[in-house]
Amino acid sequence: MKKYTLKRVLTFIFTLLAILLILFILMQLMPGSPFNDEKLNDDMRAALYAKYGLDKPIIIQFFHYVKNMLQGDFGVSYKISKNTPISQLIQTRLPISIGIGGMAVALGAIVGLLLGLLAALKHNTIWDTLATIISVIGVSVPSYVFALALSYNFGFKLQWFPMLFSQKDVMGSSVLPSISLSMFTMASIARFTRSEMLEVLGSDYMLLAESKGLSGSALIFRHALRNALIPIVTVLAPLIVDLMTGSLVVEKIFAIPGVGSLLVNAIQSNDYNVVISLSFIYSAMYIAIMLVVDLLYGVIDPRIRLAKKGD
Amino acid sequence: MSEQTVKTIQSTYVPTDADFRLKDNAGEITIDTNFAAQSFWKDVTIRFFRKTSALVGLLLIIIITVLAIAGPGMNEYTYSGQELSQKNFAPRVPGLEKLGIFDGVERMTTSSGTKEFDKYTENNLTDVYYWFGSDNFGRDIWTRTWEGARVSLIIAVAAALIDMIIGMSYGLISGYFGGRTDMIMQRILEIANGIPRLVIVTLLLLVLKPGMLTIIFALMLTEWVGMSRIARAEMLKLKEQEFVLASRTLGAGHFFIIFKQILPNIIGPIITQVMFSIPTAIFTEAFLSFVGLGIPVPQCSLGSLISEGFNSFTTHPFQIIPPVIVMALLMLSFNLVADGLREALDPKMKEM
Amino acid sequence: MNKLKSAVVMTMAAASVLGASAMASDLNVMVETPVESLDPQIATDGTSFEVIADYTDGLMQMDADGKAVEALAESYDLSDDGTVYTFHIREDANWSNGEPVTAADFVFAWQRAVDPNVASEYSYMMSDIGQIKNAAEIIAGDMDKSELGVTAVDDKTLKVELNVPVSYFTSLMYFPTFYPVNEAFFNECGDTFATSPDTILSNGAFVMDDYEPAATAFHLTKNADYYNADSISLEGINYQVIQDSQTALMSYQTGALDMTIVNGEQVDQVEDDPEFSSQGAGYLWYVSPNISAVEELQNLNIRMALTMAIDREAITNDVLKDGSIPTYTAVPMQFAAGPDGSDFSEDQEMFSDVCATDPEKAADFWAKGLEELGTDSIELDMIVDADDAPQKVATVLKEQWETTLPGLIVNLVVEPKKQRVEDMQDGNFEVALTRWGPDYADPMTYLGMWVTDNSNNYGLWSNADYDAMIDECTTGDLCTDAEGRWAKMYEAEKIVMDDAVIFPLYTAANAQMISSNVTGLEQHPVALNRVYKNVVKED
Repeated sequence: MKKYTLKRVLTFIFTLLAILLILFILMQLMPGSPFNDEKLNDDMRAALYAKYGLDKPIIIQFFHYVKNMLQGDFGVSYKISKNTPISQLIQTRLPISIGIGGMAVALGAIVGLLLGLLAALKHNTIWDTLATIISVIGVSVPSYVFALALSYNFGFKLQWFPMLFSQKDVMGSSVLPSISLSMFTMASIARFTRSEMLEVLGSDYMLLAESKGLSGSALIFRHALRNALIPIVTVLAPLIVDLMTGSLVVEKIFAIPGVGSLLVNAIQSNDYNVVISLSFIYSAMYIAIMLVVDLLYGVIDPRIRLAKKGD
Repeated sequence: MSEQTVKTIQSTYVPTDADFRLKDNAGEITIDTNFAAQSFWKDVTIRFFRKTSALVGLLLIIIITVLAIAGPGMNEYTYSGQELSQKNFAPRVPGLEKLGIFDGVERMTTSSGTKEFDKYTENNLTDVYYWFGSDNFGRDIWTRTWEGARVSLIIAVAAALIDMIIGMSYGLISGYFGGRTDMIMQRILEIANGIPRLVIVTLLLLVLKPGMLTIIFALMLTEWVGMSRIARAEMLKLKEQEFVLASRTLGAGHFFIIFKQILPNIIGPIITQVMFSIPTAIFTEAFLSFVGLGIPVPQCSLGSLISEGFNSFTTHPFQIIPPVIVMALLMLSFNLVADGLREALDPKMKEM
Repeated sequence: MNKLKSAVVMTMAAASVLGASAMASDLNVMVETPVESLDPQIATDGTSFEVIADYTDGLMQMDADGKAVEALAESYDLSDDGTVYTFHIREDANWSNGEPVTAADFVFAWQRAVDPNVASEYSYMMSDIGQIKNAAEIIAGDMDKSELGVTAVDDKTLKVELNVPVSYFTSLMYFPTFYPVNEAFFNECGDTFATSPDTILSNGAFVMDDYEPAATAFHLTKNADYYNADSISLEGINYQVIQDSQTALMSYQTGALDMTIVNGEQVDQVEDDPEFSSQGAGYLWYVSPNISAVEELQNLNIRMALTMAIDREAITNDVLKDGSIPTYTAVPMQFAAGPDGSDFSEDQEMFSDVCATDPEKAADFWAKGLEELGTDSIELDMIVDADDAPQKVATVLKEQWETTLPGLIVNLVVEPKKQRVEDMQDGNFEVALTRWGPDYADPMTYLGMWVTDNSNNYGLWSNADYDAMIDECTTGDLCTDAEGRWAKMYEAEKIVMDDAVIFPLYTAANAQMISSNVTGLEQHPVALNRVYKNVVKED
């Protein structure tokens, strides 16, 4: 297991380097440049390219970037916030996105799991239908419509929660964004929990466990839920990364200074360093979480651990 | 049989090649599978049709599909024809208008109080009917909704099916072979998925000509990962089970085991995932519309209609309602059908 | 459940307390985009300019009508030949760290603006537009920046030498690129200059006290040491970046904002409100045909048909609804006042024989054009920005063109703005929907674009007479003859219109809500969009 983990961590680093290189190449393919504003002429553009070293061959830019990055320097923004170091730009924004995303994941996962369990245990009853409908609403209304509806009703009409994100009231102003972000997670988790639980509940070993005289919560939580968790964790993991790296639409509606809108703006304005750094952080988080999930499989399901030892 | 063995028994009896004959059991194997398959699908159909919710879902999908095909032709408007003098008209349906609903009256909350007006009578257009109202260019929302539903359905179903084929095969193969193959395949997947979707899609839409095919291609490139992950997880669960071992002992090839033995056992989660891929595809398309990279104007999809209606959400809410409802109904019915199918497909759940 | 309830109640209470504690005499302002840079020589966008001007004064400032009046300069002298300006800086002008504002601060800042190592995107304000001596050579790297034609005669006297007389030179002085930077402070900050309250030095009406790069909310407070502090009534300005217009309007209606921009769709809700108004933004939106590359568009009749078939009123009244004005001239309205003080483009009928809404005439031109080309149908691709307003306008244009001109098919190609600009720069387009914002309050900011080989002349149209006229107005004899120059510019504009080089659409405007207890806000289409120095907010 130790050797396996070490091997995975090493490949983790190589994967990240590969992603970084691909990102660099993709940036070159992006049409336009950060400096093709209508007001600039060719000479000025050349001066700007020279200033930021963008006139050098891509491979030199890449090694230069990796070298700087190892020293903690992610470069500066070219457009969104001119000449600001990326690290400074992200420093304050990432925690906000992670905070709101984390709240949304927690909320979505808990409510989703409960809904899914309820639906599976009360299969083919009114509860099942109700849980299905709730989770379907979650996946059928785009989050921006949902966010605006929440903002309109609870922010504007009832004025229970602030409509705009505020550093002075982070908890209060995170409530509506977190709820709107959590809907999709909740729905996905509810659907999968239900589907997996139904399968597990129908399996022979559950019959065995039941006939052994186990009942109630022990049966459901120790036997059924544990087996249903693998695919659920697999679904949850990428959702976590998506949510933590921010959501453009929800950030836009609640004026949240997160990284989601930053990435979209950066892509639209070809702000290379911002796109690369944010994509890189996203990739690193994503791959790290997938790594944890893979290692977790062994903990949740002993059969997988055995299989790996055999390899 | 090695030569060594042959030599040791040479003293008593020398067998000739003619003594050995391959048992032609191909027929038995196929008969077995075929037999199971036939009764299996018949069984599935019966079980599926016994479930009311699944039937309701199927019916809804059929109705929406029919309307998506025929809806735009049901009145005189076209999806792109503008009549700027008749913009933002509230819904009005002949017959229903007498009941006080769909009568073309709109209540709007303005900063100087709630106003109520009927643009049809104001403009002396009493014989004009926009069943779902008109948008801010004076285009008929009914026509556009069904036109959009058609585009969205094509995009979503095409993308979901392609995802299923690519993602499922990838996940199954990766999970089945394990070891180094799995390691490499998962790293490739991580790289593909580690790059934010929006970067890839933006790039693709800029390089290729914007349009439906490009969007399907973009969705295909980014959405197969989820499917492959499910397939792999299921494979990891199943591959150590006894029936796989049995099949392998009997000499079945890898791909036979993967696609004929294991695949039918995990069709439930796969179908559930396809049903999820469809809303995800519609959503991703809607998100692309939101950032201005969706289907090119004046064409429309449910996503772009919602995104257009979104701008009038607080002003003319009736504009966003039809596409949202159609989308929600589509999701609901796909989910109900998926449920029905999954339960019908899984023989273990017969008794439940 | 009870716990949850009490948590909700507590959060609500906290929210309402905070809502009430917002300072009553702070002005709450909504902007659509975050600040790109607070470095005056690096910034290029409207939000950044507005904020920089909140806490920095230049030599001159804008008065309510947009005219240049003295700010840091107490007075200025102009040499007889019109090429040497001498500015006398106020004795009581100080930076917020107590240092006096000196002529050296201007020299340092202006040299930065032309320094190739700084690579300021607005360096052309110094060279092409400001015509400061040696600026062009320094930008090109042929001279050292110390050769720039600007010198500190003494601490408080600044001498500026120009290549040719520039009639609008004093009006450039309120443009942030020309704002001073204190050299010692700048060197102290190094790379972090203008990225936090500690690295921002103020000499203006307000001081930045809460800011971080690309922030969605930031705050300025009144500068007690400002030389004109007595006339400033606001205690501070609270900026809030809101990208979603519906959220912005709702926030305004709950009282969290004192002013906000209103999107076209929401105008329906507020158009009867006395607090609703519309403010010209100076931008000209127009359609640019690629005359050199597309054979059909080389035909003048076809171009005439296209421009005549556009119903500009429908676009502004039915689609945009934000107060944008239909425009039938190559220079937009309400930004450039002539020697007699009137708007250059006030008369919109001036070119009505070549630019008007006339579907019948358009159809005639079209038929004639098709005949000359020997075809019965034309297909054109129009590139459009992937933003809300341009897509709406393009959708209407397509419909208007296709219904009025039989045989015309227009395909809309929606692209991100960067891509659209690049396509235009590469000449890789047939028809483009584009816009141009004025850099300074003179029609030349538009007319200069159509000169042969100008980098913004994307259609590569060329006319020797026109080039000669523009030359005469910028560097020739007419530089000092304001009225003659004005008349010549009309002549030049007529050539552009007669030849249908562009199809002007409208002069853009912003629809906005300004709370009735706020008075004295000055808004301008050029340089500084909003000036808060004279704003009074009553409680």
